[in-house]
Amino acid sequence: MDATGATSVEARCVGDTAIIYASDYLNKLTGERIERECKRQLEAGRHAVVINFRDTELVNSIGVSILIGVIDVVEQTRARLIFSDVNSQTASLFELLGLTKHVQLAKDESEALLLVEPKPNAAGHHV
Amino acid sequence: MTHERILSHISRDQFVGREAELRQVINYATQTTEQKLLVSAAPNGGGSEFLRQAYDELFFRRTHAVPFHFSFGKNRGTPAEVGASFFRSFLQQYVAYRRVDPSLCTNPVSLRDVLDLSLSTDYDGVSALLESFEHERASADAASFLRFCLGAPQKLAAVCKRRILPLIDCLALAGEQKDSQLTASVATAFVGRGEAGIVAGLRRQIPGLKHAADADFDVAETIHLDYLNDDDAPTLLNALTRRLQIETDAERRDLVVQQLGGSPFLLAAFAQSARQKGLPLTSYVNCQLLYVDELMGGRMYRHFSNLLGQIAPQAQTRRTLLRILYESRSTETRKASVWTWKKRLGVEGTEFERMIDTLHVHELANSSGVTIELNNEAVVWMDYLTAQYRMEVAGEARALTVANTRVNSLKRAPKMMTRKYRRAAALGLNDLLSRFNCQEVAASLFDYQKFAAAHSGVETEAVHAALDAEADIVRLPQVVSAVDYSAVATSDPTEEGRCVIGYGFEGGDYTDESEIVWIAAEIDSKLEASAELTSEWCERLERIAREAKSHQVKLWLVSPEGFSREAAEVLKKRNAYGSSRRQAELLRARLTSELSKPDSSSSFGGGGGDGGADEYEMVIPMGTDTELIAAHTVEQIARRINFGPEAINQIKLALVEACINATEHSLSPDRKIYQRFRIESDKLVVTVASRGVVPANMLTQNGETNGNGKSRRGWGLKLIRSLMDEVEFVRVDDGTQLRMTKYLHSSGSPPVGSVQQKS
Repeated sequence: MDATGATSVEARCVGDTAIIYASDYLNKLTGERIERECKRQLEAGRHAVVINFRDTELVNSIGVSILIGVIDVVEQTRARLIFSDVNSQTASLFELLGLTKHVQLAKDESEALLLVEPKPNAAGHHV
Repeated sequence: MTHERILSHISRDQFVGREAELRQVINYATQTTEQKLLVSAAPNGGGSEFLRQAYDELFFRRTHAVPFHFSFGKNRGTPAEVGASFFRSFLQQYVAYRRVDPSLCTNPVSLRDVLDLSLSTDYDGVSALLESFEHERASADAASFLRFCLGAPQKLAAVCKRRILPLIDCLALAGEQKDSQLTASVATAFVGRGEAGIVAGLRRQIPGLKHAADADFDVAETIHLDYLNDDDAPTLLNALTRRLQIETDAERRDLVVQQLGGSPFLLAAFAQSARQKGLPLTSYVNCQLLYVDELMGGRMYRHFSNLLGQIAPQAQTRRTLLRILYESRSTETRKASVWTWKKRLGVEGTEFERMIDTLHVHELANSSGVTIELNNEAVVWMDYLTAQYRMEVAGEARALTVANTRVNSLKRAPKMMTRKYRRAAALGLNDLLSRFNCQEVAASLFDYQKFAAAHSGVETEAVHAALDAEADIVRLPQVVSAVDYSAVATSDPTEEGRCVIGYGFEGGDYTDESEIVWIAAEIDSKLEASAELTSEWCERLERIAREAKSHQVKLWLVSPEGFSREAAEVLKKRNAYGSSRRQAELLRARLTSELSKPDSSSSFGGGGGDGGADEYEMVIPMGTDTELIAAHTVEQIARRINFGPEAINQIKLALVEACINATEHSLSPDRKIYQRFRIESDKLVVTVASRGVVPANMLTQNGETNGNGKSRRGWGLKLIRSLMDEVEFVRVDDGTQLRMTKYLHSSGSPPVGSVQQKS
């Protein structure tokens, strides 16, 4: 695990959705990088954010507190937020600390993208 | 080490009960230090002989320091004469030591002889010192001559480049005015100076010596010479009587020891008297006849008479003093104001102060500065006072006083022995409470009915195993002062050692809220204690509790055979504990073993652990991501004992959280986190400690909300207790410890409960 090496966070966009990759250890520093990237993507007009935890082995309580901040920010902009590729240990932690009441977990990135994809309404318009 | 005597009055093998203290002196002599060693002796506690024995020991051990002993005796002459005597003794002992010839220490030799006997390497130094001595004696005033003489060891040490260790016996200065020329000069020379030295004084005299020297210095150690205990005192008496060929037996020796309070001086005086009178100490009658003879005209009489004569040289004042002392014995508190004493004695100013100070220093009375109280704990002093009052003040015929004293002392003898036996058989509540030290013990140890139901008729080993497994735990407080109620009772006195008040704190948390008083009593009952007896004792302890004025009180009764069912109900209603003798003894055994458990210690770095192969320690700096280093380490350790991946992750995260907590919550002065990982057969115990301050709300933190229901911070402990099987938050003197345990075969669903706190 290297939580200090990179100074920026890996991210990409799929349509209107930003996918942000969390690092192997989510602590204060790496959490704040995610938060900053998330804000940047929302300001750029993304309507959904997926945080991918495929590389994440350990999340500490400060990291979780920053994710709560991310949830707040996303809610304020009425965008959608999905966590994907969360390992079982981290999922239990999110459950324990009440994050799962406010954010949906997806098995992987594809499922996350499906969840954020606008659903057509009865008239066939995307909402 | 056995050797001949030089200054000591009794042989080394007969000098019992002071081995540890003599070792302290030897250790001190071998160190290079400028700090003083003080010997704080009880009156008649053998302080002077101790110093003489120490001298002999140092002489034969040949440490690099040259020992020098001097006692400022009672009949000492003018300050100039004292100075000359000091100077001569010093030079004699110095040359004796250098020549390894102990006989030179005491043989009468002239100063010229001393010079002639000096080793060639010392000759110039000794010669120069002698010249200065003669010059000072001829020209200087008495005060500066005394100062010169007292400074002789230091002067010769500088010239001959040798370390000289003075052993100064100031016990006989106890009756001097604090500001007398001699006391001030001695205190300045040996108590206030920078060089190493051993100074012996009465325990109430030492502060006065320090004051006279205006000393503000570090004392390396203080050796406290109390009276001999119930094991050593009979051994000493046995040695003395054997040497003096007096027939005696153990029971009679015990009586003499009880009566003389374990005082080496009084025991020696008593043995000498038996020798002179050729009286075998094989019956209570013989012992008490001899005792009364001693009180009325023997060494004991002379000792107290000399003391009173020194305190009140005028016969009329002495009689008045006897009256005041005796009459204060019969008042309830034995106390009177200083003003009352002054008025009754008819003595003013410094003379009055000297009298009271001498009474106090010799522990004949206790002076607080405001009140004066007779010390009635010393049996011999009380008997002497009573007899003298009857004869000198009340005008009773001597023969009648002798008869009364004999009769009374004989009537007292069996009672005294009964008290001794009961004291010896007592549980030792004082010691037991002092051992509590925030330890955890099985709750059934304080609940007789529960204990009896589970462990009655079970072997002790099996009971210990069951207690080990007991889930119901009592966290004992840290008792910082255990007071025998008999010593402080103003009414409703209890027997010595049978009722103890333990003042302390719960969880080692030194706050008003955590302050607690335990009141424990050992009660007599041949069978299980009845409800009536238990109620009576509970009421008694509740009265004591009211006197203790603590908002939190725990009552604990110990009855030899426990408590009846009805008595247990009485205890329960009062939220009191009740234990049998067996429970209390099991508790003692467990507290003792707890103390030796490595993990119960708060110290790291070798102080607490057993250093075995199954224990690892590491220290990491507080800082960015250093917790990951700890997490990697614990991962490797957990793997070695086959924890599964999920459990390893849980341990890692718990450790990370513990490190974060330590970093965030302590104002740590060294910014370090101390960790210990101990592998036991079925578990891994991780202890994380840091120095610093713990916020009061630390234990209750459970996530702070940001106003919209989402917690943002303060999850550390909640997380840890969810991830680990057992969590203990331990306050230590200078910081905190978090002890977390993970079992190899835990149930898989982590227990949710409050974080336990202990110290």
